[in-house]
Amino acid sequence: MQKKAKILIVDDDVDFIESTKIILESKPYEVIVAHEGDEGLRKAREESPDLILLDVIMPTKDGFTAAEQLKKEPELSKIPVLMLTAFSSKRSETSIPVSRGYTLDVEDYIEKPVSPEELLARIERYLGT
Amino acid sequence: MSNKPRIEELEAEHTPEEAALTMRLSVFVTLRWLAIIGVVVATLVASQVFNIDFPTRPVYIICPFVAIYNLVFFYQLRSLKREGPGLVIHKARRYGNIHIFLDLLTLTVILHFTGGIENPFVFFYVFHIILASIALHYRVVYVAATAALIMVAVLVSLEYTGAIPHVNLAGFAEPGLYKEGSYILAVLVALTAVLYGSAYMATAISGELRKRQRQVVQIREQLIEEKIGELEQASREVNKLEEEKSRFLQFLSIAAHDLKAPLTAIQGFLWVMLDGYAGEINDKQRHMLDRSTRRIKELLNLISDLLDIPRIETGQILPEIKEISLRQVFRNCLPEQRDLAKEKGIKLDVELPEALPKIRGSGPRLQQVITNLVDNAISYTSEGIVTLRVEEKDKHVQVEITDTGIGIPPEDLPQIFDDFFRASNVEARGTGLGLSITKRIVEAHGGKIWCESPCLDTNQGTRFTFTLPKGKNVRRGK
Repeated sequence: MQKKAKILIVDDDVDFIESTKIILESKPYEVIVAHEGDEGLRKAREESPDLILLDVIMPTKDGFTAAEQLKKEPELSKIPVLMLTAFSSKRSETSIPVSRGYTLDVEDYIEKPVSPEELLARIERYLGT
Repeated sequence: MSNKPRIEELEAEHTPEEAALTMRLSVFVTLRWLAIIGVVVATLVASQVFNIDFPTRPVYIICPFVAIYNLVFFYQLRSLKREGPGLVIHKARRYGNIHIFLDLLTLTVILHFTGGIENPFVFFYVFHIILASIALHYRVVYVAATAALIMVAVLVSLEYTGAIPHVNLAGFAEPGLYKEGSYILAVLVALTAVLYGSAYMATAISGELRKRQRQVVQIREQLIEEKIGELEQASREVNKLEEEKSRFLQFLSIAAHDLKAPLTAIQGFLWVMLDGYAGEINDKQRHMLDRSTRRIKELLNLISDLLDIPRIETGQILPEIKEISLRQVFRNCLPEQRDLAKEKGIKLDVELPEALPKIRGSGPRLQQVITNLVDNAISYTSEGIVTLRVEEKDKHVQVEITDTGIGIPPEDLPQIFDDFFRASNVEARGTGLGLSITKRIVEAHGGKIWCESPCLDTNQGTRFTFTLPKGKNVRRGK
């Protein structure tokens, strides 16, 4: 049997993590969790996940800063990063308060809430499964 | 007329006091030309008409000298008018002092050759004093009056004692008059009274005038200072408003996030349950979960819409505005609309010209406008066609969305773009903010939007039309 892909969820919302974890584990993916940016970076280094779901607004270290750091480290920069945000990304570029996020070289932006099918489809696209 | 700048324009920077002073000195130069003519005419008339016998040649010789120094003054003044402000008063007064003493001397010399104390023109010194008090410092005026008196006194005593010859105005004055002590004294006393009296009166008036001129300048400066103060105050207030605006938008962003986050979490759980990840659910439960997700979607939309309004109204669209291709905007949103129409069994007819001018706008916002209007048209049409027609006009691009739907009741038409307004003939579905946001976006682009129902030409359905002004440098783009 093929090795399960490992997905790191970095989000401060435990409820969002719980529901997302259920969906991802059913695939099955292996899910590891971090609750803020620094923990996310540490887990990324330790566990070398195949994909990272990164929330934008978090306490201590926000998603943009964490993503910036991820993309700077050669070991981690190859891991696809999908940014999650409750801000509308469809409507306009500036509706995201930190517009520098758009110049960040992350793989994709996903607007919360995202349906299970949509989330899985996006993840599969970047895992190449 | 030459193209050279006129003196008046060059003087523009001078204060009223400076301008008045140089203007008065110019008047003096003019008066001096008249005085020269006056002396010549008076001499001619005296000798020819009144047959007063005296040697006229010295008088005629003096006149060119006066003319020469007057010419020098004339050029001095012209250079003075080009002088920058500040030094003008000082320089002009210095010139004026020289003028006045030269004039006093000239009059004394002329008097000497035209009868000395016998000549009633001895009282002409009063003009010098009046002119001096108009233009010069008041102390100079008293010095000039004193100088005039000394000059006359010296002239009279020299003639009296025979140190210099006396010229008698034969036929006008008694030949011995210049030696009559009481006459001389009377003339000198009268002259003293006249010169000092006029000096006192004239300096009082011109002093007052100068004070007023300075007050005018002071008041003007005060007003300018006040205006500058007001402007600074206004700019401080603008900065404060800008700060408040950005704080407000920051607040909205955080509010939006914190409002959406719990909804997002709930939505996540609902989807997990609906999709069976948390075990089987029965139809009744599915129905309730379905309704719940729909209500959450409504709430999320309402939050987005509510946040859109202040963002548009505080000009947050402006940084997004750039030169865009309208065709691209349509290309981005039409596939979704086509799917929606197909689902409902409605024909979506798109009349889009091959070439459309580029316009200045925010692509995502215009997509929002088109999506909203076409969505509405499809929603309120149960059968028939929704037509999207784009036309290039003289100064703008016009977009029409026409449906064959239920239409809008006439009494609702005036409020159709109001916040939270929902037409009375539809079941409440949206947030009631869609059209009001659409209107705000169109207007933020400098366009107009209006609605007709029923359509004037077909007498059915509804037509929304909006315009977008063409960019200044209109280029054709495919």
